[in-house]
Amino acid sequence: MLETINLSKTFKEKKAVDEIDIYLDDGESVGLLGPNGAGKSTTISMISSLLKPTSGDVKLNGKSTIKDPSEIRKVLGVVPQEIALYEELSAYENLHFFGKIYKVKKGFLENRIQEVLDMVGLKDRQNELVKTFSGGMKRRVNIAAALLHHPKVLILDEPTVGIDPQSRNHILETVRKLNEDHGTTILYTSHYMEEVEQLCDRVYIMDHGKVVASGSKDELLSILSSEDTIQVQLSKSSDNLLEAIKAMKPVRRVDETSDGIRIISKKDSSILNNLVHAAEKEGIQITHFQLEVPSLEDVFLHLTGKSLRD
Amino acid sequence: MGSFLKKDLLVFWRDRKEVLLALFLPIVIIVVLNLAFSGLFDNDAESVNMNVGIVDENEHSTELEQFKLRLQEMDILEVEKEALINQASAIKPSELIVEFFNDPKLKEWIPYEKVSEAEAIKLVEEGDLDAIIKIPEGFTYDVLSSLLLEEDSSTPISILAAEQSMELNTLQNVVNDFIDTLNLQFALGSTVGADLEEPVLPQGGREVVEGVETFNISQYFTIAMSTLFALFIAQTVAMKTVTEKRERVFNRILLTNSNPLEYLMGKTLATFFLSMIQMLVTFAVTQLFLDVFPGKSLAFWVGVIVIIAAFALTVSGLSALFTSITLILNDSNAASGIFTMIVMSFGVLGGSFFPLQGLPVVFQKIGEWIPNGLTQTVLIKWIQLTSVQDLIVPIIILIVFFMACLVIAVTIFPRRGRV
Ligand SMILES: Nc1ncnc2c1ncn2[C@@H]1O[C@H](COP(=O)(O)OP(=O)(O)OP(=O)(O)O)[C@@H](O)[C@H]1O
Ligand SMILES: [Mg+2]
Repeated sequence: MLETINLSKTFKEKKAVDEIDIYLDDGESVGLLGPNGAGKSTTISMISSLLKPTSGDVKLNGKSTIKDPSEIRKVLGVVPQEIALYEELSAYENLHFFGKIYKVKKGFLENRIQEVLDMVGLKDRQNELVKTFSGGMKRRVNIAAALLHHPKVLILDEPTVGIDPQSRNHILETVRKLNEDHGTTILYTSHYMEEVEQLCDRVYIMDHGKVVASGSKDELLSILSSEDTIQVQLSKSSDNLLEAIKAMKPVRRVDETSDGIRIISKKDSSILNNLVHAAEKEGIQITHFQLEVPSLEDVFLHLTGKSLRD
Repeated sequence: MGSFLKKDLLVFWRDRKEVLLALFLPIVIIVVLNLAFSGLFDNDAESVNMNVGIVDENEHSTELEQFKLRLQEMDILEVEKEALINQASAIKPSELIVEFFNDPKLKEWIPYEKVSEAEAIKLVEEGDLDAIIKIPEGFTYDVLSSLLLEEDSSTPISILAAEQSMELNTLQNVVNDFIDTLNLQFALGSTVGADLEEPVLPQGGREVVEGVETFNISQYFTIAMSTLFALFIAQTVAMKTVTEKRERVFNRILLTNSNPLEYLMGKTLATFFLSMIQMLVTFAVTQLFLDVFPGKSLAFWVGVIVIIAAFALTVSGLSALFTSITLILNDSNAASGIFTMIVMSFGVLGGSFFPLQGLPVVFQKIGEWIPNGLTQTVLIKWIQLTSVQDLIVPIIILIVFFMACLVIAVTIFPRRGRV
């Protein structure tokens, strides 16, 4: 098990990570979500021994990794947010170099390189220079390089940023296989909710350096279970009506959307009645009414006030 | 460490611009300089030729008498006077110079004729003479007072020529060296008188003459350019660290359990091999196409390789230092600026841009403490066939320089977590 205890990092005045406690059980697949600047990458840097925490601890099977990180380096594979490869070297040469310094045994290295290349689907292009690769291909080599030493825990920091859907699917599939077939523990950071929903058993949501919510998908959704999202289409728009709705007691927020308004309100049986009433009073007809099932995206919005992507 | 070395060599090799710059630019420059200067200087050692006129205005016997008279008037013991007069009579300074130029080896290179001043000037103007060595009036008197009474000499030998040239410099050096040796010999004491019965050819002067015969400008270019460009390699390899940080591979390296010093040693070794290859290629190519070192023995080339290897080691130490500085500074522009300044001042002070041999002694001395300057000096001496013993101290200095750089580099190399 890998866990952080009150892990904090302050850059000058800025608290980038603020006393977070997260854990990864063996074989689990966990998502780490958060808007830009939430502190995800900083957390990952501290877990992977690249960055010394200001305070707090990172423990691997109960043993602190801060003083002696050699153990965690052995079991950890990190796919950094930015592509970390020698542009001037071929995919194969990159993997060979990183395999060597990960101390993969000589006799196994050749096989292993071919294995990971196969996993990310780049076996037939291994001798081409990385700088000639597309963004998606670079991302895949970036992942392959983290897999060479058979890591028990794999941390991926936004591995699918800015790439084509095909590469993205390939990467997701690779990660899923690693988790399901090889029992690799996964910590997956992304700006794409559907990726996390698809891959992860559990999710942490970070904002402003803090974990603001955590749990399985259902647990997170239950945060919103006391609220309804109502999508309403009107015969015409009216500021008066908007104000009237905002003034209703259970309503938490009202947003104008492209084809009407969206209301987030506490669960309340009288809301529908009141809506119809208010519309009638303004001489407006409700042409369409829909009660929406909340998504994780809504949970995220609810917690951070920001959408996942800018 | 092997994998780091291999990676660094590969990365360097893939950067074609860098390879061209390191391997071909020095050769191109040497060829161009050779072409440019071949009209001005004759590169062929055998045909180095200077017609010199010696104008002797010195009146030896009169001046000797003057000197004796002066001694008589001096307030010293009779015995001392006697001794000094005996010594003075034995010394014939102007003849020594003429004798010196009579040496068959030197004559081959600098034939001379004795002429009057007026005649000499005419011959120079007509182009029949390249330079005039003028032994002025009062020279004997002056030399005797300087040597025996330790007074400052005021009437130096002058060398006149229509135009400044590399050869003229050499001639000046030959004469200066001769005078220095002369002074030294007298200063050495009692045997002087006996020795000088027969005009002695001072050893120091002779060495320089032999040097002139075997050291030419193409050789200088080859040595200067290859050592200068080797220094550039130290900078180039170290600056790859910036790329490695920018491309984040440095972080990936830190994620492994490899010792960060392996990273540093990889850079150091890579620089050693690259600068070694660069210098060897430069020497080999210029030798093949320009025959820069004609008719040299195998032993000569072994010596050259040893000196080059010692220098490559120094360059690699410098590269280690540069790498550490790059990591600490975190500002690639500042780092690059500092390295360029260091390399350029090494180039200037070490005589890569113009030969130190023509400069005042101070600069020569400074130059010999700059690794490339030292290497250059040693190589030039080696061309002039000094003994193997003469190589030992410079090589030790180069190795010490390497070790010092490496120790500093390792000491300031940032520990993990701070990077
Ligand atoms: N080396 C640093 N020095 C100063 N501030 C830093 C440093 N690294 C990160 N920060 C700050 O810490 C905060 C958290 O950054 P971090 O990169 O961890 O966010 P993130 O969640 O990974 O964001 P993103 O989704 O954009 O990758 C940001 O405000 C960032 O500006
Ligand atoms: Mg990040």
